[in-house]
Amino acid sequence: MNYSLAKTDIEKETQKGVLTTAWRRLVPLMSEERRPVIISIIAILASSAVSLVVPIIIAHIVDTYIVGKNFNGVLMFSGLLTIIFIAGLFSNYIQIITMGGVGRRLLFNLRNKIFVKLQELPVAFFNQNKSGDLISRINNDTDKLNQFFSQALMQFMSNIILIIGTAIFIVFINFWLGIIALIPAIIALIATQLLNPWVKKTSLKSLRTLGNMSAEIQESINNFKVIVAFNRLDYFRNRFKEVNQENYSASVSAGVASNVFNPIYVLASSLAQLAVLAYGIYLISLGNFTVGLLIGFLLYVNNFYSPLRQLASVWSSLQLALAGLDRISEVLALESNIKIMPKDCETAKITSDHASAILEFKNVSFGYVDGTDVLRGINFALEKGKTYALVGPTGGGKTTTASLMARLYDPSRGDIFLEGRNIQCYLPEERAKKIGFILQEPFLFNGTVRENILYGNGDYDHYTNDELVKMLEEANLTKLLERFSDGLDTKIVSSGDAISLGQKQLVAFIRATLRNPDILILDEATANIDTVTEQLLGEIIDQLPAKTTKVVIAHRLNTIADADEIFFVNAGKITPAGSMEHALEMLLHGKRKS
Amino acid sequence: MKDKYPSGQKENKQKENIKLGSPSLFGLLRGYMGIIILLVVLTVVANGLSISVPKIISGTIDDYAKGNFIITNLIIEFSIIAALIFIFTYLQNIVQVYASERVARDLRNEISAKISVQPYSYIEKITPAKLLTNLTSDVDAIKTFVSVAVSSIISSIFLIVGVAILLLIIDWKLALSVLVIMPFIGGAFFFILKKVRKLFIKSQEAIDWLNKVISESILGSALIRLLNSQKHEDKKFLAANIEAKKVSLEILGLFSSLIPVITFFTNLATLIIVLLGGSFVIQGSMTLGSFTAFNSYLAILIFPIIILGFVSNLIAQASASYGRILNVLSAPVEKKTGGFGAVLKGDVEVKNVTVSFGDKLAIKDVSFSVKAGSKTAIIGPTAAGKTQLLYLLTGLLDPTSGKILFDGVDVNEYSKKSLHGQVGFVFQDSAMFNLTLRENIAFSNTVKDKDIEKAIKTAELKDYIDSLPQKLDTIVSERGNSLSGGQKQRIMLARALAINPKILLLDDFTSRVDTNTEKNILTNIQKNYPNLTLISVTQKISSIEHYDQIILLMEGELLAKGTHKQLLKNSPEYVQIFDSQRSTNELELKNEKI
Repeated sequence: MNYSLAKTDIEKETQKGVLTTAWRRLVPLMSEERRPVIISIIAILASSAVSLVVPIIIAHIVDTYIVGKNFNGVLMFSGLLTIIFIAGLFSNYIQIITMGGVGRRLLFNLRNKIFVKLQELPVAFFNQNKSGDLISRINNDTDKLNQFFSQALMQFMSNIILIIGTAIFIVFINFWLGIIALIPAIIALIATQLLNPWVKKTSLKSLRTLGNMSAEIQESINNFKVIVAFNRLDYFRNRFKEVNQENYSASVSAGVASNVFNPIYVLASSLAQLAVLAYGIYLISLGNFTVGLLIGFLLYVNNFYSPLRQLASVWSSLQLALAGLDRISEVLALESNIKIMPKDCETAKITSDHASAILEFKNVSFGYVDGTDVLRGINFALEKGKTYALVGPTGGGKTTTASLMARLYDPSRGDIFLEGRNIQCYLPEERAKKIGFILQEPFLFNGTVRENILYGNGDYDHYTNDELVKMLEEANLTKLLERFSDGLDTKIVSSGDAISLGQKQLVAFIRATLRNPDILILDEATANIDTVTEQLLGEIIDQLPAKTTKVVIAHRLNTIADADEIFFVNAGKITPAGSMEHALEMLLHGKRKS
Repeated sequence: MKDKYPSGQKENKQKENIKLGSPSLFGLLRGYMGIIILLVVLTVVANGLSISVPKIISGTIDDYAKGNFIITNLIIEFSIIAALIFIFTYLQNIVQVYASERVARDLRNEISAKISVQPYSYIEKITPAKLLTNLTSDVDAIKTFVSVAVSSIISSIFLIVGVAILLLIIDWKLALSVLVIMPFIGGAFFFILKKVRKLFIKSQEAIDWLNKVISESILGSALIRLLNSQKHEDKKFLAANIEAKKVSLEILGLFSSLIPVITFFTNLATLIIVLLGGSFVIQGSMTLGSFTAFNSYLAILIFPIIILGFVSNLIAQASASYGRILNVLSAPVEKKTGGFGAVLKGDVEVKNVTVSFGDKLAIKDVSFSVKAGSKTAIIGPTAAGKTQLLYLLTGLLDPTSGKILFDGVDVNEYSKKSLHGQVGFVFQDSAMFNLTLRENIAFSNTVKDKDIEKAIKTAELKDYIDSLPQKLDTIVSERGNSLSGGQKQRIMLARALAINPKILLLDDFTSRVDTNTEKNILTNIQKNYPNLTLISVTQKISSIEHYDQIILLMEGELLAKGTHKQLLKNSPEYVQIFDSQRSTNELELKNEKI
C-alpha cells in the first residue's frame, strides 16, 4: 500500500468554495457540541442585535430630539442605550466563553484523532514518509488549527452573523439605499472568489517549503558531527541557504497573495460610504430620508464592512487552517493495511502444514512499494524452543524476514502462521506478548533507563526500584545495568551521544527479555556491544525458558555458533544451510547480490 | 548543562534576556532601515488617508445643511481618496511581508552560519532540539513582530494622536470627556495581558510537550508497533493534550472578560457623545456634521488601543525569542584552530589525555602513539570511551587536559580544513542525508569522480550501485530507510575514503558488515590506500590479530597496549575477551582450510 503523503499535489486541492469546504469539514466536528453552539449562537444574535439597534436609536435621538432641541428625550433614550449596552456586555461575554470553549474542545478532539490515527498506521507509513517532514507536518498543521480554533473561529462566526444581520437591516430601512450599500461588497466577494485559488496555491506552497526547510534543519543538525568531521560546514550552510531562500520566496508570494483581501475590502467600504452619502443626500433632497437616518445608515455601513474586513483578515488564517485540515484529513483517511481478520481465520482455506511449529512461512513473497522484490516464495518452519540464525550478505533480506515474523509488514503473497494460526488472526496484544524483537537501530524515549526498560510492559510499573532490581537479578540482567552510571535512574536523551549505541542496545535487550516472549528476534541486536558483555547476553539468553524460540541475525559468527539451524538469506531466497561450516562456505563463496 | 543552572537561576536568566532583548529587538531592524522607513511612510500615508474619510462625510453633511453641496466634487474627492487608500494599504501590506520575510531569512542564515563555526560539543550541549526551535518558531515570532508589530505600532500611535488632535480641534470639551475613557481601556488591557503572558509561556510549554510526544511516536513507530503500546502512547498524548486544553481555556477565561469590557467602555464613550454632544448641538455650539464625525472617529480611536494591547504581547513573545537567538549568536566561538596546513605523514600521539563531563571522567589519562602507515585497534567493553577517543582525534571533542599530536604538532595548530581533509572518520551510527548517493559519498561538489570511483570500489559498493537504475544519482531517503545497515555502513566508509585520507578512523565498522565483505574491504583498503594510518575501534579480535598495536580500553582507562601476542601474554582482560570469541575463531580457521 502506498502511504506516501508527498505525492498529493497542489492542483488536487479543492476547487469548491472555501465556505462550503469549511462547512463540510467543520460541521461534522461540531456534532457533539450542539448545546454550546446553540447557546453561543443565541448570544451572538443578542450581541449582534445590540450592535444593530444602537445606530437606529442614535438616528432617532438625532432626528427627533437633537434636531427638535429636546434634551429630556436625549436623556431618556440615553438611559435606554445604557440598558442595551449592559445587555451587550453580558451577551458578548457568553458568546466568547462558549464559542471559545467549543473551539478549544474541537481542537482537543481533533488532535486526539490525529494521534490515535498515527498510532493505527503501520510501520510502512513511517518508512515511506520523511520523519522530519511528518513531524513538522503534524505539529505545524495542528498549530495552524490551534490558532484558527482558539482565535479565528469565534470572530468568524460572530462576524458572519453580524454581516448578515446588518445587510437585512439596511435593506429594510431603505431598500435602494441598502442595495447600493451592498453592491461594493458583492463585487469584493466576487474578487475574493477569483483570487482564492491563487492565495490557496501560494500558501500551500509556502507551507510545503517550510516543511522542507525544517526537514533539512533536522537532518543537518542531527548529523552535525559528520558535517564537522568532513569539514563540510560550507556545504551545510549553502544547502540551508538554498532551502531558506526557497521558503523565503514562497512565503513572500504567499504574503503578497493573502494580503490582497484587506485593501479590497477597505476599498469596497469606502465606495459604499461614498454611494450611500451621495444617494442618501439625493433622497434627503427629495424629502424621502432624514439626516439622522443618514448618519445611522453610515454607521450601519461601517457595521457591515468592518466585520467583513475582519473576516478578510481572518480569511487567510481560515485558509491556512483549511489547508492544514486538508492535510490532516489526508492522514486521517489512510487505513492501515495490517488488518486483524479473525472471521476469515476460522474458515481459512490455507492452513499450516506444521501444526507443531511455532512459526511457519508458507509461499511468502514480499516487495516494497517501489516494486523491488525482497523475498520470493519462502517456505520454512521454526520449532518451539530452538535457536535459529539468519545469515547472508547485507541487503539480502534478513531484516525484512524478521519484520514479517513480527508482522511489521504483511507479505504481498503467501501466509505466515504463528502456532498454527495465521498471524493475521491474532489480536495485536496477543501477538506482541508472543513476539519480542530487538531492532537493528534501537529507539529509546527521553526519560530514564527504568522508564525505557519498562516501556510497553505494564507488569512491573508499580515496582519500586529495589523490587525491580531484584527482579532483574532473577533474570540475570543486573550485570547489564552496571553499564549505566546511575543504574535505573540514568537519564536518557535519545538524540545526541550522551548514550552510546552499545548502551542503547543493552536497554533494548533488557526491555525485550523482561517481557518473556515466546519468540525472541535479535536483529544485529548486539552488534555494538563488546564480546565480553555479549557473552553475558548469551548466558542470559540461554537461561530463558526452554520454550523460547530464538531467531538471531548477526554478522559476528560467534553469536550464531549455538544455533540449532542456520538459514542463508540472499537474493530473495532463504535456504537452510545445514551446518555452520556450510553456512560459512555459502557466506564466503556464495554469489552475492549486493 | 542540567546541573549548571538550577531552575530558579535559569528563570532569572531568561528574564534578563527579555529585558536585554527588548531594546535590541528594535536594534535588529537597524540593518533594514531603508525598508523600515518605507514601511513607516506607507503606513502613515495609508492611515492619514483613511482618517480623512469621516472628515469628508461630516463636511458633506454640513455643506448640504448649508445648501452648498456639489455632488461631482464629492465623487471626485472621495474616489481619489478611496483609490489612494487602496494603493497605499496594499503597498504597505506587501512591504510588510517583504520586510518580515527578509528579516527572518537573514536571521536564519545568520544562525546557521554561527552554528556552522561552532564545535560539535557546542551542538551537543545546546541540544539539536533547541537549535531547531531557534531556527523555526523563534524566528517565526520575530517574523510576526516585524510583519505585524512594527506597522501596527506606527499606525496605532499615529491614529490615536491624529484622531485625538482632530477631536480636540472639532470640539475640545467633548473631546476631553471622550478621551477620559481611554486610560480605563488601556488599564484593563495591561492588567489582563500581564496575566495572559504568563499563561502564554505555559501554553508554549504544553505545545512543546505535545510535539515531543508526536516526534517520539514517529521516530519510535516500529518499537511501538512491536510492543503494541499504541494505547500507552495515546495516554501520554492525552495527558499533554489535556494540559494544552486546560491552559488554553484559562487564557480564554481572561480574554472572554476583556473584550466585552472594552466594548462596554467604548459604548460608554458613545453615550457621552450622545448626551454631551447632543446637548451642544441643541445649544447650537456644535454642528450636526461634527456630531457625526465624533461618532465615526470614536470607532477609529478604539481600534488602535486594542491593537496596541495585542502588539505588546507580540513584542514580549518576540523579545523572549530574540533573547534565545541572541544566546546562540553571541556564544563565543571556542578557540580558533590554527592555520597549520601541512600534508600529514600519519604519526599520531595521544599524550596524557583526560576528558571529563562535569565530574564524570570519560577518559582517564590515556597515552599512546601510532606510527604513520601502521594499524591500531582499540577494543574494550561498552561505554569504555572508545568512541570518545576517536572523537578526540577528529577534534569533535576537546581534551579536558592533555594533548593530541599529529606528526608532532598539536591538533589545535592545524586548520580544520587541513585536518578534516586528511582524517577520514566512519561513524558508528549511520548518518545518511536525503541527497543522492553521489552527494552522500562525496558530500561536496569538489571531490573528483576518480576518487569517488576508487572509494566505491574499495567499500565493495560497486555491484550494488550498478544494480540501481539511477546509479549514483539515486536519492537516499531520509535516515536511509531504503538501505540496509551494512549498505549504510559501507556508504559511510566510501564517504571517508573519498577524501583520500592519510588517517582513517573506523568506529565499530565491522559490526554491520558480514565477514566476507569485511575481509574484502580490508584487503581493498590495503591495496588502494597503501600508506594509510588505520585506527579502528572494533569488537572482533580475529580481524585485528595482525595489527601493529592493540589498545585495550575499559571505563576510560587504558589497561594494556601491544600486539596481539603480547597482550595474550600479559593482559588477563584481553585474554577474557579473546576467549569469548574463540569459538568463532576456530570456525573461521577451519573455514580457511576449506
